[in-house]
Amino acid sequence: MKKRNYYLTTISLIFLVIFLYFAHNYMDAYIVRILNLCAIYTILGLSMNLINGFTGLFSLGHAGFMAIGAYVTAILTLSVNSKIQNFFLEPIAAPLANVEWPFFPALLLAGVLSAIAGFLIGAPALRLKGDYLAIATLGFAEIIRVIFTNTQNITNGALGLKGIPAYTNLWWSFGIAAFTVLFMALLINSSYGRALKAIREDEIAAESMGINLFKHKVMSFTIGAFFAGIGGGLMANLLGTIDPAMFKFTLTFNILLIIVLGGMGSITGTVISAFIVTISQEALRFLDQPMDLGLFVIPGISGMRMVVFSVLLMIVVLFYRHGLMGTNEFSWDKFLNAISLKKPLSKGGKYNGNA
Amino acid sequence: MEMLRADNITMQFGGLTAVKDFNLVLNKGEIVALIGPNGAGKTTAFNMITGVYKPTKGKIYFKGKDITYLAPHRITKLGIARTFQNIRLFKDLSVLDNVLIANHLHIKSNLFEAVTRFPRYRIEEKEMIKKSLNLLEMVGLTNVENEKSSSLPYGMQRRLEIARALATNPEVLLLDEPAAGMNPKETEDLTKFIKQIRDDFDLTIFMIEHHMQVVMGISKRIYVLDYGVTIAHGNPNEIQNNQRVIEAYLGVENNA
Repeated sequence: MKKRNYYLTTISLIFLVIFLYFAHNYMDAYIVRILNLCAIYTILGLSMNLINGFTGLFSLGHAGFMAIGAYVTAILTLSVNSKIQNFFLEPIAAPLANVEWPFFPALLLAGVLSAIAGFLIGAPALRLKGDYLAIATLGFAEIIRVIFTNTQNITNGALGLKGIPAYTNLWWSFGIAAFTVLFMALLINSSYGRALKAIREDEIAAESMGINLFKHKVMSFTIGAFFAGIGGGLMANLLGTIDPAMFKFTLTFNILLIIVLGGMGSITGTVISAFIVTISQEALRFLDQPMDLGLFVIPGISGMRMVVFSVLLMIVVLFYRHGLMGTNEFSWDKFLNAISLKKPLSKGGKYNGNA
Repeated sequence: MEMLRADNITMQFGGLTAVKDFNLVLNKGEIVALIGPNGAGKTTAFNMITGVYKPTKGKIYFKGKDITYLAPHRITKLGIARTFQNIRLFKDLSVLDNVLIANHLHIKSNLFEAVTRFPRYRIEEKEMIKKSLNLLEMVGLTNVENEKSSSLPYGMQRRLEIARALATNPEVLLLDEPAAGMNPKETEDLTKFIKQIRDDFDLTIFMIEHHMQVVMGISKRIYVLDYGVTIAHGNPNEIQNNQRVIEAYLGVENNA
């Protein structure tokens, strides 16, 4: 059984790699870009799910961490020439003017700085619970955005940064997404992951079982911030242009949507939901166009397609609280049982860590 | 040997004094009970000992060390474990996970070693699972380790809570109404069970209990609380004949 699952996983991974190779070389740029976004939203969704879904901390600071990550990679990877072009109002601060890093170290530093920010905001804010934590983290994200709007000689303020080298390709985005899935699966199924879940289930009981609440909450928050920073960095080098207005609350909301639809506390759910939400956001673009419904005409309203997601979210919260997967995970055994329509031999198989 | 000592601990919530000047001594190997009518402050006393509440006044010592203001997880690590009056299991997690979580406080591997499944972590994990399965077997929960803990029948949930508390390697075990909701047969089994774990794990047990059958059967000494005040302290025989205890439980005889 175990061997069979191992082969199945290997075969699927090979197929994924072949597909990525094909997409990378032959598919049109628009589709490749959507696939990249899917992978990036997977990373972001997983990082938020670690904090909100697995540890049960209601945090809304993701846009802030992403902003840090995006700006760090953007500033580090921008060529010296584009920096001069970008910073025409006020020249860039001297130490940053001549740096031009390769992508990977820039991305890594983006994650690390975002994690440090996560630690600094987490240490005081995680003493709060529930709604208060949500408000504090939301405030943090807004503060980051306002700071970035006003640090003209570092972030170019409201003008944003243009001409960021398009380093992000399918190999980067899917590679890091796969790494994130693996990391989260290993973390969640370790003793530390169990401690996080215990905190989600019952803080008082967890504390009485000797779990240091503060340490574990800060740990979860910092790891989440790290991956959010990396996701932000990948996004900056995919889009090529960033400005502070990108990192408003709606961005956090998009990720929250993904994890709620997918199931708070499910890695598989987040991955599936990240793809569904990202693809349908593009597919539903026609809703933003003017529509002639025969009897009357709806003028083009941009953001109309988001109404679909809002309604969907309401339905999920009201009638289907667990989302797509609840806290369940994919396993080959369950999958094969499902498609062969046989009765499952045992309920609740364990996640094998290689989806 | 003196394991736990409380000196005049008092807990005030605003103007309400939930527990007043509570004194407690637990010697090694003893089973001591805390009884009293509803709302007498028994669970509050437990919460002070385990660090959930910080006493307004007074000191608590564990093996001579002052633990009054320590956080609950530190107190547990030192060797005081507890169960809860209204069962507090990790409901959505499996039976085995519930017990494994209580092993986490003694883990030596760091986060990095755990995520990369370093050899040291693998060994620790294996030992944790072995120890947890052993504990589950001892409390009579075999073959249910993969069930969701909330799906167990009530009596089993109680035993799972005790197994979970034992997994933290305690020296002092605090049981908050372990026999609540049990029928006479289960109560009798529980009485034997408590004695047995005391001997097997070398424990000192302090318990809150309403079932007099359990209390009188196994406790060496009994403390009686009423409205936060200790109204009696002594061996079961003394308590049964104590006028104030009878009054607190049955009311004062009215001769007028």
